[in-house]
Amino acid sequence: MIRLFVSVIVFSLLVLAAVDSALAQEETVCIQCHTGQSGSLATPVEEWRQSIHAANGVSCHGCHGGDPTDFAMAMSPDRGFIGAPDYASVPDFCGRCHVGVRQNYGESAHGQAVEDGGAQCVVCHNAHAVKKAEISLINEEDCSRCHEYGRAGEIKAAMVETEQMIGSVEQNLDRLHQLGIATDQIEGGLFDLRNRYHSLFHSVDVEKVRSETDGFQGELQEITQGISDIDSQLAQRKIWGGAAVALLLFGGIVSMLIRRTYHDEAGH
Amino acid sequence: MNWKKQVIDFIETRLGIRDILEQNLTKYLLPRNINAWYTLGAVLLTLFMIQFATGILLLIYYVPNPAEAFQSVERIMNEVPFGWLMRTLHAVGANIIIIALLLHMLSVMFMASYKRPRELTWLSGFIILNLAFALCLTGYLLPWSQLSFWATTVATDAAGAIPLIGDDLVRFLRGGSMVNEATLGRFFALHVMGMPLMLGLLIGFHLFCVRRAGISRAPFGPDYQPREHPDHFEHEEHHDGIPFFPNYVIKDTAVICFFLAFFLAIVFFAPNLFFPESAFEPADPFVTPPGIKPEWYFLWAYQALKIFPSEIIGLGVQGAFMTFLALLPFIDRGAERRPFKRPLFLTCYALGILLFVGISIWGHYS
Amino acid sequence: MTTHVTPPQRRKFLFIILGGVGAAFTALAVWPVWRYLLPREKTGEDAKIPIAKADIPLGKAHFFSFRGQPAVVLQPAPGQFVAFSAVCTHLGCIIQWQPGKGECLCPCHAGRFGTDGQVLGGPPPKPLDSLPATVEGDQVLVG
Repeated sequence: MIRLFVSVIVFSLLVLAAVDSALAQEETVCIQCHTGQSGSLATPVEEWRQSIHAANGVSCHGCHGGDPTDFAMAMSPDRGFIGAPDYASVPDFCGRCHVGVRQNYGESAHGQAVEDGGAQCVVCHNAHAVKKAEISLINEEDCSRCHEYGRAGEIKAAMVETEQMIGSVEQNLDRLHQLGIATDQIEGGLFDLRNRYHSLFHSVDVEKVRSETDGFQGELQEITQGISDIDSQLAQRKIWGGAAVALLLFGGIVSMLIRRTYHDEAGH
Repeated sequence: MNWKKQVIDFIETRLGIRDILEQNLTKYLLPRNINAWYTLGAVLLTLFMIQFATGILLLIYYVPNPAEAFQSVERIMNEVPFGWLMRTLHAVGANIIIIALLLHMLSVMFMASYKRPRELTWLSGFIILNLAFALCLTGYLLPWSQLSFWATTVATDAAGAIPLIGDDLVRFLRGGSMVNEATLGRFFALHVMGMPLMLGLLIGFHLFCVRRAGISRAPFGPDYQPREHPDHFEHEEHHDGIPFFPNYVIKDTAVICFFLAFFLAIVFFAPNLFFPESAFEPADPFVTPPGIKPEWYFLWAYQALKIFPSEIIGLGVQGAFMTFLALLPFIDRGAERRPFKRPLFLTCYALGILLFVGISIWGHYS
Repeated sequence: MTTHVTPPQRRKFLFIILGGVGAAFTALAVWPVWRYLLPREKTGEDAKIPIAKADIPLGKAHFFSFRGQPAVVLQPAPGQFVAFSAVCTHLGCIIQWQPGKGECLCPCHAGRFGTDGQVLGGPPPKPLDSLPATVEGDQVLVG
């Protein structure tokens, strides 16, 4: 009996005990080979590791094609390998995925002038260390590399308020998500809005940004309203919860007092 | 009302309920120096009943299938009226039960109530504690979140450290080489049917043991004298004692109220204590979330495994420690129960608690 | 003690209060369980959405709001109407109809969907949620 019991205990412990298990993610042949190289052949991997592409699982072959599983054929055009695009083809290169932005950009002053050295995607977003698009990308230092900051500053000023609204909605959604509220639908809507808004920026047209800002802010206000509805529901739950806790504490105290009456009685 | 009396009389004549009630309530006398720690059993019964009730309610909307489990829990949390309450009660309640179980065990240890003739009470209680741990572990997987999936992966992985049979055991536990649909199936069956059944039987046995042996006198006060238990069965009588009902039941009620107040305060004001972020992300077998840690009550085991140079030694030490705890009444057999007359025991007891807390904190921050 | 309240009297009074507390708490506990078990009322949201056939010419798409979410109805072949959610299953952007290609495109990351909602290419993990569409007279009913 005791032996059986011991084995039950040992068995359950084994089940319960926990250890680290870091599942090493398999790396593609691109990364394996390029990390070992030096200079400009290695830096793209380093830069990419910091990027939003890496964070979302978009790896080398996502943009450059090729075969990430085969050392010999990895960079063969037969397997769809595309090397570094030339300057003016970068918008098409990125635009294979970022279709919406590509379109707005194409219509903009930047896009119209791309053959003559007009700014394209990587001029502002970097080639491999692609960061999440944020309003801080528009700044005097970067824009002044090519032209006066004046108009860019105006666009930034026109966008900043909406951008802050988006940021605060994102934070609120994060907070609600951690409470177990299903925010996927709202998050999807916000992602869509954010994307449309950022494509709008690529038109680099101050008037267009200004005229459409009201619409975007209206949508954001609707989302914010939804969030505050959820918040007031949560607050209401707390009120009822507080009442239940208070009731229990009161019940506990009354029970203690009743218990004391028995004590007093026995003492007499 | 006449018909009411008739019904009562009808049952009374046939079953003699009144006598049973008297024997177990008003004429069931408890020691005069009984203290508040003795109420933890009643508190635990209440908590287990809440788990049973909320568990059954959750079963109505839960779907035990990897494709739908996460969604079904999300629906419970967001769409079903008061589903969030049932789910939070059930999940937080599991933690509260572990707290109460540990307190119950520690107070019984401090007062040395496990000693002869109550060895079986202790043993069944210890199995209940382990069963509660196992219920926590199996229940953890059911929401099929990132947390569920990876915590279960990591926990079942530990069994692989056993020599020879390790790998086969892991496969058996998981129903495959990885945590998958088969794992959810067996954990679900164990969590909602197998283990609750065993738990119910064990609780019944535990209570039977308590009632048969009688409530032990607290080993405090000037009147207390340790005594050897005779070789034959003897119910511990307390002729000058207080009746269980209503005198002590009201004290049970008071402590239950306070404990539930504490429980609900967490449910309503700090549920996030027990829900890390990954609890609300659907399981993804291809992405390990950073910083997966076991729940607080497993941290000591988790850290103990890391301290020792090899996992086998770590597991061995844990196994030896748990076996020692299980067999405590058979090892510690002296009649003395007063804590302050048992300096060796008291030192080990205090150091043991400090060690448990210390290793857990270490595990939390490591 | 100078009061003349004996312990049993005090106890009786306290028991009444405790009974009240118990009743109040029971009510607080029963109400959520009752609501949890109650069959959920069907709201007007379950109603079908009518769309005039004339709004959906052959090979064109009509976007509309279905229970608060963007949706689209198409006529890929004469007399055949299909409807699905217009929310891309990748990150939640709203898909666009490409009349020239006869497929849907998500502008955010170039997810492509066929006229049956199936993924043709790009990052979306699963097909668009399909919605039942039936023809009734000169209307298409979605839902």
